[in-house]
Amino acid sequence: MILYAFILIPIITGALIYLIPKKQVLWFAFALQIGLMALSIYNFVLIRLNGPYEIVLGNFEKIAGITLRCDTLSGALIMLTAFIFLICFLFGLFDKFMNNLFIFFFLTLQALVMTIFLSRDLFNIYVVTEVSTILVAVLIMFKKDSRSMYDGMLYLITNIAAMTFFLFGLGFMYKIFGSLDMDIISSKMYDIQDVKTLAVPFAFLMTGVGLKCAFLPLFSWLPKAHATPSAPSIVSVILSGLYVKCGIYLFIRVREMFLPALNMDSIFLIIGILTGIVGLMLAMSQKDIKMILAYHTISQLGIILIGITAGSDYAYYGGVLHIFNHAVFKSLLFLSAGIIISIYGTRDISKIRGVFRRMPYVSVMTFAAMLGITGAPLFNGSISKYFIQSGVKGGIVEYAFILINLGTIISFIKFSQMFFGKGVKEKIHVDFGKKAALTVMGIMCLLMGMGGTLVISGIFNYNVSIDVIEYIKKTVIYFISLGAGFLVYTKYLKKTKFMKEGMEFELSINGIAISMTAFFISIAAAAYIIL
Amino acid sequence: MKINFINAQNTAIILFFIGVYGLCARRNIIKTIISLGIMGGGVILFFLSINRTAESMPPIFNGDVVVAADPLTQALVITAIVVGISVTAVALIMFIAMYHKYGTTNWLKAMKHRLEREDE
Repeated sequence: MILYAFILIPIITGALIYLIPKKQVLWFAFALQIGLMALSIYNFVLIRLNGPYEIVLGNFEKIAGITLRCDTLSGALIMLTAFIFLICFLFGLFDKFMNNLFIFFFLTLQALVMTIFLSRDLFNIYVVTEVSTILVAVLIMFKKDSRSMYDGMLYLITNIAAMTFFLFGLGFMYKIFGSLDMDIISSKMYDIQDVKTLAVPFAFLMTGVGLKCAFLPLFSWLPKAHATPSAPSIVSVILSGLYVKCGIYLFIRVREMFLPALNMDSIFLIIGILTGIVGLMLAMSQKDIKMILAYHTISQLGIILIGITAGSDYAYYGGVLHIFNHAVFKSLLFLSAGIIISIYGTRDISKIRGVFRRMPYVSVMTFAAMLGITGAPLFNGSISKYFIQSGVKGGIVEYAFILINLGTIISFIKFSQMFFGKGVKEKIHVDFGKKAALTVMGIMCLLMGMGGTLVISGIFNYNVSIDVIEYIKKTVIYFISLGAGFLVYTKYLKKTKFMKEGMEFELSINGIAISMTAFFISIAAAAYIIL
Repeated sequence: MKINFINAQNTAIILFFIGVYGLCARRNIIKTIISLGIMGGGVILFFLSINRTAESMPPIFNGDVVVAADPLTQALVITAIVVGISVTAVALIMFIAMYHKYGTTNWLKAMKHRLEREDE
């Protein structure tokens, strides 16, 4: 019954809130978020004690009905969803744009995201993703600014095209297996006669999922959607911190579903490394604060992909843990970027100086997130990166990984320039809700770093331990990278055109469609060869 | 043995990729939305052709055992049609709003407009 509550309560309350035009509804929605958070923790404890459980809607047989299944991964992601939305409401508690319509959209989006994490029926996932795509597009163009119009439109068209690919793949799956339930399909995967038939549906599904999680040739929509200037910063938080994780989650599930017959990890590992490097290069060259963060999302998604497909348990759990860590620090970065942008009135990083003097508290919290994303010791990024790195130990992947981390450090040294320097001296008052939200996130960065192993064993019941000597080695590597990054940035890169002017990389809709087709054809060909 | 290549499944795949071609090659926003509709049409035809033979009947009958078409795909198709219609409607409404801002139906011109207004 709890699973129904996660889906129905936000939608019903959202609709009620839309009908009651009162000022206090925001507080009501906030209280609802606290309730959902408590419920999700309770749900997670139940799963850890009693094991995963499932509900088939409408009491049909499992082969024909829609199954909601909650295992530890889903339960943990539900907790993450509730947590991020709680923080967003806390952050926007005193903001003017949080009107009834916005709250309605926001709560509905929350319910849809939770459904994606719970549902095991491919067609249900398609419908829910499609609806959430429309909602996200509306949220992107919520202020009807002329730039966000284009961004929202591009987001809508590309994602719908991707989901049509997904739908076609799903039709093939039904034709082959006679069911749309992921567990049933996975169990039937062993008895399939002609394995070559799996190549085309796999490529169709992966094209849809790959665009959702912004793999290498398909990421062009992401920075525009996540960094559109006029959208409220909590929309960017939801998109970059949480919504893009739906894509990664679907990738994990689809990969698991095909795993008995088809293992394409090596190819996705290469895609992951390239995504990490390309996202990073583009991030380094941007001068718009939100753009920098959005491109870093792409590069971190590449790191998560490396972890998931590296082929060792360590790396896999590191990758999954990085989903949570990335959600925490990227949300914090977007929140503080929102505050800085609204105070300085510009998004150009070269024009903002002296933030630390004006807002010391916000700056300290942002530093926690920056230490997290670069993988500084004791902060959350270091733990997940440690596990991924131990998983890919030796060989070229580890060096690529260290290179990506070095680039991240350089990019954030550039990002941190805006905190120093001289600026206006007067202090800025930041309201209580925003401070509280930043504090909770900052503490989470530190706590998840201190107890990273506890988080993994708590969530997945998989005991990992950190080798102290290895960890110290990695800490040394981190500090060497930090020094090297600092030197490279101040000596060489700071004055180059690459860093100052920014690199324009923008695909039009035709370019995105062509890269989608190319991705589809290459995945299909590769799968056909491997099978 | 004669294999009939002009069957529903192949037609569906061709229709789908005609839609993809439209996405790749056309710069008109309305034509892009129409291309999405064509892709959706291909998928619907594909769904209807699953597990269907020439003898199969609609899955509404009483008593006599006949070869029935798969009822589940038909339920899926109805949902897919509804989703497709609403998506098209939303895309067109967004296009109208965008047209009021930019005054163009061309993707590339819209992209240029967006970059120009960035500095304001």
